[in-house]
Parts: sequence; structure tokens; C-alpha cells
Amino acid sequence: MNATSATVRRNTDEEVGLWVFLATEVLFFSVLLFGYVVTRIHHPQAFALASKHTDIVLGSVNTAVLLTSSLTIALSSVSLEMGRRRAALWLLPATLVLGATFLALKFLEYAHDIHEQLVPLPWLHFSLSGPDVAGERLFFYMYFVMTGAHAVHLIVGLALVAAMIVKVARNENPDHSCGAVELTGLYWHLVDIVWIFLYPMLYLISRT
Amino acid sequence: MTSTPSQQEPIQPLPVAGYVWVWLALMVLLGLTLASSYIRLDGFNTAVNFVIAGMKAGLVAYFFMRLRSGDALVRIAAVIGVLWAFTLTALTLVDVLTRRP
Repeated sequence: MNATSATVRRNTDEEVGLWVFLATEVLFFSVLLFGYVVTRIHHPQAFALASKHTDIVLGSVNTAVLLTSSLTIALSSVSLEMGRRRAALWLLPATLVLGATFLALKFLEYAHDIHEQLVPLPWLHFSLSGPDVAGERLFFYMYFVMTGAHAVHLIVGLALVAAMIVKVARNENPDHSCGAVELTGLYWHLVDIVWIFLYPMLYLISRT
Repeated sequence: MTSTPSQQEPIQPLPVAGYVWVWLALMVLLGLTLASSYIRLDGFNTAVNFVIAGMKAGLVAYFFMRLRSGDALVRIAAVIGVLWAFTLTALTLVDVLTRRP
């Protein structure tokens, strides 16, 4: 067997099933995208102003962290296919740590947002006071709903990765573990792709 | 009966080094999108950001999610969600952008 490439052992039925589920997830996030697009069309200046109050450093670092976690989980899947279980038992925990790091930084960012009074709830003071406060509030509604929905998906992903670590460590059914890690990876990558679009939509509207 | 070349020669799995190169490309694109947002592009900043995001998502889907070597049915299932999302987004925009006050 080629030592640098994986032998393909994939279950197409399971993959198709998971991709159909992922298609429903794409549509779920599309609904949030519609809300964002429509509110941004109506409040372009407010979105540009409000976006400057998001933390560009934490947002960018988190993007790099999540992209790296996609690499580690992809490699863990490849490692299992190559019969390198020990490598997978390093790469899966690495994915878990990277995902947890993303969440920790996200919650740190939320803490800053709360401290800066950027939570647009009716009973809380909202600190922004530009010419279109309603638009700025809408931006932060979208920010919290979209990043919150993404964080929930990431937490589910973390639970799945943790379950895969146990499964691979037990090594009771290597072929089944291999397929399960592959499917977990597909879900994880979709969560990564969602963030790839949220990053410019929320952090990069206007930095000039 | 002669079989097609694709049946005779299945796509080779990506070597491990290939995954690292894809990750490096993703990091470069992240740097580009971040840098571009600090340059005034006369209204094209959003377009540039979305094009780069599309490239990053394409790299993740094609290589990390292995659509590159996926079965035709898998590729169809993968594309269909995105197609529906595009259709619904386009119809939403047609409505919103053509409304008169």
C-alpha cells in the first residue's frame, strides 16, 4: 500500500444520506442568510458602522483555528484508512482542542460584546448611537443569531468528535470506525464552511 | 464493450502532503480576504470577500470533503443543497430589490 495516500474504503449510501442531511443544514443557514441580506439592503450604512465594532482579531484567529481543525479531522480520516490508528488518536483530540479553542474565543468575544453594551435586547442599554440605530441593532441581532446557531452546531460537532475518539480508542470495529470518522468529518467541514461565509459577512463589511 | 477511462482509472486519493497544501492555500486566502477589507475598492469589497469565501468553501468541499473522488450520486447530493440555496436567495432578492415604496 502507498504509504502517503489512503486506500479508499467509502460507503456511498451513508455518504449520500449524510450529504442530503447537510443539504438541509445549508437551507437552514440560507434562511439566516436571507434575513441578513434583506436587512443589510435596507440598512447598508448601519451595517457598515456596526460591523466595525466586532472584534476583527478574534474573528480572524477563530477562522484560522477552524480551518486548521478541518485539516486535522480530514487527516484523521485519511490516517484511519491507511491503518494508522495511532496517528488518528492524535489528530482527533487535536480537532477537539481546536474546536474548543474556537468556542472559548467566541465566548470571550461575547463577553466583550456584553461589556461594550452591544446586545440588542429591549431591556438592555445599547451603546451604539449612529444615524440609523435601528439598523445597528438589526446587525447585532443577526450577529448573535448567526454566530449562536453556528456555535450550537460546533458543540454538536465537538460531541461527535469526542464520541469518535472513544470509538477509535476501543478499536472494536475498525472498518465501522473509519466510516463513522469520515461522516463526522463531513459534518465538521460543513460547520467550517458556514463560518467561512459568516466571517466576511459579520467582520469585514467595512474596515477602511 | 470498452469501458470509459474514468472506470479504468479511478481518481487517486490525495496524498497527505496534498491536504497540507490545501490548508496553506486556505490560510493564504484568509490573509487575502482580511487584507482586502482594509483597501477601499469602491463598493467591490463585499464581492471580493464573497468570491474568496466561495474559493475557500470550494477547497474544503472538493479536497477535505473529498468530492474530488466522490461517487456521482454523492456529488449530486452535495450540489443540490447549494443549488436550492442559490435559487431561494435569487428569488428573495428579486422580491426585495424590485419593491416600490
